[in-house]
Amino acid sequence: MFGGDEVSAVVIDLGSHTCKAGYAGEDSPKAVFPSAVGSIEHLGSVNDNQFDKVNESLVDSKNGVETIYTEKVNLKRKLYVGTQALGYRRDHMEVLSPFKDGVVTDWDIVDNIWTHTFRERLRIDPTKHPMLLAEPTFGSLHQRERAAELMFENYKVPALFVAKNAVLTSFSYGRFTSLVVDSGGGSTTVAPVLDGFALQKAVATSPIGGEFLTQCMMKSLESKGIVFRPQYSFKKKERSPGEYQVLDFDFPNTTQSYKMYFQRAIAADIKECVCRVPDTPYDEVAYSNIPTMSYELPDGQILEIGSDRFKAPDILFNPFLVQTITGMENSIDSVRLRGLPQMVIDSINVCDVDIRRELFSSILISGGTSLMHQLKERLEKDLIEESPQSARVKVFASSNSIERRYGVWIGGSILASLGSFQQMWFSKPEYEEHGAFYIHRKCD
Amino acid sequence: MEAVVVDAGSKLLKAGFAAPDQDPAMIIPTKMKRVVEDGDIDDSSAFEEVTVDPVVRGFIKDWDAMEDLLRHVLYTGLGWEMGEEGQILFTDPLSTPKVVREQLVQMMFETFNVSGFYASEQAVLSLYAVGRISGCTIDIGHGKIDIAPVCEGAVQHIASKRFEIGGIDLTNLLAQELWKTNPQVYIDINEVEKLKEQYACCAEDQSSFDGTLNSCPKEKHILPDGQIIWIDRQRYIVGEALFQPSILGLEEYGIVEQLFRSIMTVSPELHRQLIDNIVLCGGTTSMAGFEERFQKEAILCSSSIRPSLVKPPEYMPENLANNSAWMGGAILAKVVFPQNQHITKAEYDETGPSIVHRKCF
Repeated sequence: MFGGDEVSAVVIDLGSHTCKAGYAGEDSPKAVFPSAVGSIEHLGSVNDNQFDKVNESLVDSKNGVETIYTEKVNLKRKLYVGTQALGYRRDHMEVLSPFKDGVVTDWDIVDNIWTHTFRERLRIDPTKHPMLLAEPTFGSLHQRERAAELMFENYKVPALFVAKNAVLTSFSYGRFTSLVVDSGGGSTTVAPVLDGFALQKAVATSPIGGEFLTQCMMKSLESKGIVFRPQYSFKKKERSPGEYQVLDFDFPNTTQSYKMYFQRAIAADIKECVCRVPDTPYDEVAYSNIPTMSYELPDGQILEIGSDRFKAPDILFNPFLVQTITGMENSIDSVRLRGLPQMVIDSINVCDVDIRRELFSSILISGGTSLMHQLKERLEKDLIEESPQSARVKVFASSNSIERRYGVWIGGSILASLGSFQQMWFSKPEYEEHGAFYIHRKCD
Repeated sequence: MEAVVVDAGSKLLKAGFAAPDQDPAMIIPTKMKRVVEDGDIDDSSAFEEVTVDPVVRGFIKDWDAMEDLLRHVLYTGLGWEMGEEGQILFTDPLSTPKVVREQLVQMMFETFNVSGFYASEQAVLSLYAVGRISGCTIDIGHGKIDIAPVCEGAVQHIASKRFEIGGIDLTNLLAQELWKTNPQVYIDINEVEKLKEQYACCAEDQSSFDGTLNSCPKEKHILPDGQIIWIDRQRYIVGEALFQPSILGLEEYGIVEQLFRSIMTVSPELHRQLIDNIVLCGGTTSMAGFEERFQKEAILCSSSIRPSLVKPPEYMPENLANNSAWMGGAILAKVVFPQNQHITKAEYDETGPSIVHRKCF
């Protein structure tokens, strides 16, 4: 239907933390930006002029895209999407996320995110490109229908396909059967993939993801008396050559959510730089004398981080550690949550006996949080201990950090550029004839 | 015959044969006048002269005008013969849509019948011009600003940024400011452009900019039509606008801050080579005091690594910053075409325009 190279498909992976988008056939996404958006509530009516000011890049506005803007006028808030727009501090701007517990609850924000992707980042006309969307492995049927409706009605795309994250990750490693451990920003999902289909009954998910670990890190450091200064709240001034002084700005109208978002950004950077998964389960006493690592905050303060380096990542393996961090005791039901190795074993045990062996020997890890040092080794070690004797456990992790972080997107890129895939698209005429629920038949 | 390198900017089009140590042979404005052909010569009011800009904000928008312009450049300016066209290398700005690239290659092969084609991104070329393959390029052109970290010749698209402000917005700003202080004088926009190039400068740092509010030397300037205008603080405002975009009415941070945020997005092991090799290029960077101010602000933003701006090599001509993309293109042309890494006519005929995405990065 859509021949090989002429029409380029677009792959979009909207995750709970970052959105990745780009052309199919490329080896990394062109546009990567946070899924969180800034929002300012308006009092009273909104005119069209204000929307024109938001988008300075309105050079070529085709008629189809203009109508999208006028529809948004009816909602009484203005959304700022993308790193640049979100990064600029504005009074009364709240930070919102379209996701709650891994599923999309606010489709208006998703609409804005897609518009931003098409118009400003990729600069394409959505009516000319088939779209491949990645959805969470445990996503509901309703979510998929809603996404299809939004794409076809608002953007008038010529064709659409929705694929599960686990399946795409599996493709990015070049395998049809594997057990995918996807540890991203919002959650960690363990899903077996068999011959290109995800086994729904065996999918396990846990809310412990990158953002949760960042939160733990932040609370743990704050309890030691460290104050995070968000980037916008200070400025460095040269007092004399070589000597710098930090001046604080006070912005009383900045919302709490915005401040927290930027403090968390600093904590996330600390986590990415210094954290390591310990070889053995974390023990408060054993790690109390560990040598510290120093980290310089943006405002010049030097932090010495010792046992927290190992405590935060071990939460993936032992969720009950959350109880020991002040301020986080009630955040999740850590008694009932399982650690990562336990989730893997439980997931494999739900599957048929015949394929368990194959699953054990092809465990793939992907997602931003999987970039933590020593995660692969620790997971392998724990699994070898807990698994049945006869099973040969092998964990695969891509050595290239880009491939691991964007594993789902890369899988989508591979899938959409295959010649044999081109007849599987769910096209616009089919949507108009059968309706949104037909998508379940076409997309597995 | 040497390959031709064309760098089509929003204001100036640079073209010439690939000779890396020399300036481009042709630097002409990318502006054309469309003359409406009217059979009735007596009625002079029907003679409409409309200015056409084929390149807007870095991207080619008006393809017919571009075709006419290129025809003039290639056949009249550089002396190509019909039927004996050579090889051509084009430069693209960042985030060029795929469609634009395909249209360009189609125009080149089908309308102009070139024998070989290559396209490359301006950020990478500017680095080649100063003899590096890794570094961070800041291209402040007439229509747009591109910030691109490049590692080993590959642009990190995830971290690169593009701003829709450039020299043209600074000119408009200057025109506005001059109108405020000299309300009776009407100045043509081209004249304002010349004034900007002559007078605009950057204050040493933010506090001295605030100081100009109180005292600033006034200068008298006589326009070509005899009118007299006074220029004082406006010259500093134009320079400051890049460091404080709120002057232009935009909700953004200054370019130095944006540069560092962009670098922070790249993985930490590459930070050092990016911060050590910052290249400023584009016409607007030749403003008086710009480099010093940039360096000062950069030192404040970066904590551990000392940022350094790259100095062009001695064998390169003066004003490298204005033409660095063209120069880099000339260097690249000398490598790509002899090694047959470009798109040939035969390959284009076989595959079609989409081959540009596979062969040219």
